[in-house]
Amino acid sequence: MGKSDKKKAYSRNASKEQRAAYLFLIPAFLGLSLITYIPLLATFIMSFFNMNVGHFVKNSTLPPPQFVGLANFIDIFTNPSIDFLNSIKVTIYFALLAVAGSIIYSLFIAMLLNRTMPARGFFRAIFYVPYILPAAAVMISWWFLLQYDGGLINYILVRLGLEKSYFLANSSTAIPSLAVIAIWTSGNLIVIFLAGLQNVPRVYHEAADIDGATALQRFWNITIPCMTPIIFYNLLLSLVVNLQVVVPALAVTKGGPGKSTMFMSYLMYQTGFRGRELGKAGAIAFIFFIVAAIFAFILFATSKSWIFYEGKDDRK
Amino acid sequence: MKKRSVKILAILMSVLLMAGLLAACADETAAPPAGGGGNSDNSGSGGGGSNERIELVFSLWGDPAEQETTQRALDVYNDSQDKVYVKALQIGRDEYNEKLQTMATSGEMPDCGMVAEDTVIGWARDGLLSDFDIYAGQDNLPLDYITFKYEGKVVAYSAANEVLALWFNKQIFDDAGIPYPPATLDDAWTWDEFIEVARKLTIDSDGRNPGDDGFDKNNIVQYGAGINTYTWQLEVWALSNGGKFFSSDGKSVAMDDATIEAIQKVADLHLVENIAPFNDGTADAGFDLTIGRGNVAMGTDGQWATGFRAFVDIDYGVGVLPYMKHKANICTGGPTGIFATTDYPNEAADFLRWYNSEENNINTILDGWWMPTKMNWYTDEALLEQWIDGSDFRKPLGDAYRTAILDVALDFGVTKSTAWYYTPNTYEVLVGTLQPALVEAFQGGKTVKEVVDASRDAMQAALDKR
Repeated sequence: MGKSDKKKAYSRNASKEQRAAYLFLIPAFLGLSLITYIPLLATFIMSFFNMNVGHFVKNSTLPPPQFVGLANFIDIFTNPSIDFLNSIKVTIYFALLAVAGSIIYSLFIAMLLNRTMPARGFFRAIFYVPYILPAAAVMISWWFLLQYDGGLINYILVRLGLEKSYFLANSSTAIPSLAVIAIWTSGNLIVIFLAGLQNVPRVYHEAADIDGATALQRFWNITIPCMTPIIFYNLLLSLVVNLQVVVPALAVTKGGPGKSTMFMSYLMYQTGFRGRELGKAGAIAFIFFIVAAIFAFILFATSKSWIFYEGKDDRK
Repeated sequence: MKKRSVKILAILMSVLLMAGLLAACADETAAPPAGGGGNSDNSGSGGGGSNERIELVFSLWGDPAEQETTQRALDVYNDSQDKVYVKALQIGRDEYNEKLQTMATSGEMPDCGMVAEDTVIGWARDGLLSDFDIYAGQDNLPLDYITFKYEGKVVAYSAANEVLALWFNKQIFDDAGIPYPPATLDDAWTWDEFIEVARKLTIDSDGRNPGDDGFDKNNIVQYGAGINTYTWQLEVWALSNGGKFFSSDGKSVAMDDATIEAIQKVADLHLVENIAPFNDGTADAGFDLTIGRGNVAMGTDGQWATGFRAFVDIDYGVGVLPYMKHKANICTGGPTGIFATTDYPNEAADFLRWYNSEENNINTILDGWWMPTKMNWYTDEALLEQWIDGSDFRKPLGDAYRTAILDVALDFGVTKSTAWYYTPNTYEVLVGTLQPALVEAFQGGKTVKEVVDASRDAMQAALDKR
């Protein structure tokens, strides 16, 4: 067989494999298109119409939906009953607190759990359990704990001779209280950090030990640089989850006190599924998407300057 | 061979996925209704069981006990005729509106069902409710003050009537040697008298009352009173103080000074008087948060609290609400409606007329959850004996039930429609906007005036939205 025949046969095989690959991709592509991209596009289109739930109802007396241009986008920022700018602010405030707290807390716990200690498996499970508990149940349990009358936390404060706190009923303490709960449930980050810590080469620590480096120096100059890819992944994961926060508002705070916990997702839900204004909810969803994308972009754009990949220099 | 099987597998997976998607998108209701209905557990004997029997879906919320009572009523209806089979679609109260509205976006609402009071007018305006008047041409109509009207037209009727009352823990009063709260409008306490009694019943861990030297508000073991601060119930205090939530045409937010003062007085029961537990107003659970706790002497809630006797081991009585400037009460009751998507408005109307009638819902009435909606049930002594004296849950309340509930419900000078009977978007205004704003006032971070004034434009915008 000549060289060109071989090439043709290879090309035939490759194209057959490609066809099979495309066939295998069809189900996933169809599924993704039908349940993600087409609804996304429909939401975007809907945001330019004064679409109401009533427009979908057979026999409805509502006039047909009208194209309103950017009116929905303007209204969500200027209508005081929606006040989307406030929702962007409170969501970002919550996400920053929850992400920073979760990363620090889970890295700290992971480092403790990475040490040789008795009942290590038990403690690893203990810190992971909050993550797998149903989110609404967690919120309601914390709501009980944080109650002004009869709440365990306030009981402890009073026993310590301190003043009771309204926690979730106070606009200045509501978000920090919810961030603490989010941090408490970040057991998945602990597991990922633990996996990363076990991949930090021991030889670096041993060499640094011989050179007389302190534990803090080893942590700062060896552990953290080696962990930066994992930190990046956890940051991204935590950011996406916390920007989409909705359960605390749905289960407990209902967006209050005031509008202090009127998160973007909850506002979108309220506008679309309670207020029936699907066009405006679509506009909120679209801006929400952009806000989340900006944060993800910033994270990716800055990642090159602080992520350390072992053997990075060998890559092309 | 191997490659061929790979290809076949891929094709099969694609076909299966397509089939699954098509099946999921299929119109379930397209199939002709079968006789006997689809709910085999609850279908009863199924009446005639003709293949032409129409299936109506009736959506409802309620706790399991209420749902069971409702299902018993549906079984009776299904057995009573062979033209229609009514199937219950039970949905949790918290997600009821969202679920129905989501169903509406796919054009698949139930035929008829319960409707949340705070969305009735909005649903009617936005075309989700049929404008079919189920009592058109009838004589014995539900009471006018529990009839929902939009632009002068009836859009829904309440299936029950409820008024508010003051409930009290008898044991706490007996232990303190204090007479029970008044049970007649003539003897109703003023707001100050109410506070005075509540103060005597509030004690800290050292047995001191508010106002005593050394009273420790952080260690209160028994509270004298609690007001249901869920926003719609606060309207009664606005009326009592000469204020109002909305203009009488339901088109603008009033929230005048008298209303603000009234809500501040309610908030001060906890903040200033230290006689009420903290209640942030985010749950409509007046009884649970007062009498149900066991350490609160008095609490306000609706007539439906009569039915809680089955669930608490506390002997409680009923009295009339205290008043600020005027004796006032508000009435309400879960409405039922025909959804615009139904193909069977006549059959749905027949069923709702049957369902809303006292005779056919007598168990829900006897269990204490509902009061009748038609006037003859309030005036005909035989009927009164049936639903008041014949109820195991009303009997323990004695004569006080008739004077504190029945007489109040019939005093149309005192008892007025809750605003949602004539105002659109009360969910958006009261629950979506005012309620979260008031949380800060109830915990004392801001005054009621501050939070109401700060939310006024948002409330009006929420009221105006279409």
